[in-house]
Amino acid sequence: MSGHYAEISGLHVYYGNIHALRGIDMYADKGEIVSVVGVNGAGKSTLMWTLAGVLPYKGSIKFDGLPLPARPHETVARGVSLVPERRRLFTAMSVRENLIMGAIRRNDRDEIERDMERCFALYPVLKERLSQRSGTLSGGEQQMLAISRALMSRPRALLLDEPSLGLAPKVTEALFDTISQIRGDGVTVLMVEQNAYETMNVSDRCYVLQAGTIAMSGNSSEIMKDPRVRKAYLGD
Amino acid sequence: MFLQTLVTGLSIGAIYSLMAVGYSLIFSVLSFSNFAHGAVIMLGAYIGLALASKLGLGFALVMSGAGAGVIAMINERVAYAALRRRGAPSLYLMISAMGCSMFLENMVYATIGARFYAFPEFFGSRTVRLWGSSLSLLDLCAFVISVTAVFALHLFITRTRTGIAIRAGVNDMTMCSLMGVNTDRLISVVFFIAGAFAGVAGVFLGVRYLVYPTMGWVTNKAYIAAVIGGLGSLPGAMMGGLILGVLETLVSTYISSVMRDVFSFTALTALLICLPDGLMGAETEDKV
Repeated sequence: MSGHYAEISGLHVYYGNIHALRGIDMYADKGEIVSVVGVNGAGKSTLMWTLAGVLPYKGSIKFDGLPLPARPHETVARGVSLVPERRRLFTAMSVRENLIMGAIRRNDRDEIERDMERCFALYPVLKERLSQRSGTLSGGEQQMLAISRALMSRPRALLLDEPSLGLAPKVTEALFDTISQIRGDGVTVLMVEQNAYETMNVSDRCYVLQAGTIAMSGNSSEIMKDPRVRKAYLGD
Repeated sequence: MFLQTLVTGLSIGAIYSLMAVGYSLIFSVLSFSNFAHGAVIMLGAYIGLALASKLGLGFALVMSGAGAGVIAMINERVAYAALRRRGAPSLYLMISAMGCSMFLENMVYATIGARFYAFPEFFGSRTVRLWGSSLSLLDLCAFVISVTAVFALHLFITRTRTGIAIRAGVNDMTMCSLMGVNTDRLISVVFFIAGAFAGVAGVFLGVRYLVYPTMGWVTNKAYIAAVIGGLGSLPGAMMGGLILGVLETLVSTYISSVMRDVFSFTALTALLICLPDGLMGAETEDKV
């Protein structure tokens, strides 16, 4: 059991008496896009919050050979950054301030400015909205800002929780294009989605999460052909 | 006469602002009413009292600020941190704060005693003449220092990285920690700032009135000031403090000093009926 960039084994998470994740085993290699699909309540967001260090867990989460701490600010320091469901921007603050918050641990002022420019190259609209209060952005723009904010910490692994939620299909498509671009920069991406079709299209491998356990896993292209998946998630 | 009253009012109001700003800052970060704020003010005044006669007012102000800041930080670590980490409802934090306030007051009763102490005379009755009125130097000094401190805090909150992190924490504490901020440390910074402002306010109150264990009850006025301005808004707390101070002084001078507090609370009630969010508490809607 070694050699994978990120490795989760025997992961259990409890909310009081509720056993939300029941022994999850997963892995991701460097620069992969791995997706997790599942219905509401399957434990997708729980998985993300746990990996980000917010929820206490039993089992092991290893990243780049070392166990991942269960304290969010230390997890970020290790290079794991979460874009949570519904974005959770600092809505009372400007677009620029949100980006600065993303880089709050860093002191390299010039590099921070350069990374901001990189985000603008990815999402040009953000540059026009720089001093606008982030809560007044449209849903798609907010998601772009949330991803940019996470990228500002220079993560080695990016966790995306339902990035397409509430977005128009065209916006979702454009967003998924940029996710491929981000992977091109060597970032490992783990995304959970209800939007199974788009997700499996963009990801290399896929896990199907059902009631807190992994029901199926494999290459996305193969999972997409599985009749059970087609029936449950792709509307066949 | 009117100018003199106005300056006295502004000076008292500026001290209210110092208290209200700290109280409001803690409220906006942890969403609870820190009823131990008054006890920190009182302890700041005692620190100032101990140092002022030998080392002068300036040094006493600095040390009271630092000392009260540290006391507020320890108070948070001991009494609130564990509750906060378990995600306890804010009512529990409020009750814990009340307990702290009683504990600290009674500690002072038990160790220093219930006696009233007066600060040595710093400005005596020295006055500055302006447009035919004589203005107390103490009033001017309290006003200038308080307003400068609040303005400096405003710059700190809006311009520095720590300040931006505090505002982010106010907005969403979990996300703030997911950006890499150690929120325990951030909250300590917030309590230090609030405590330092409380300590400075305590010294000014002590110089103006007297120092005694329950002097911190005056924070009622800070709560009113913060609510008038809109809880959680720093410029609001500042405005609220100044408005309250000036109104109170005008009422005491021109109507009756007995009516002063009746007036403050009536004004608060009336304002809340008309503007439930306070003067600057209104937030515009976000898109979801």
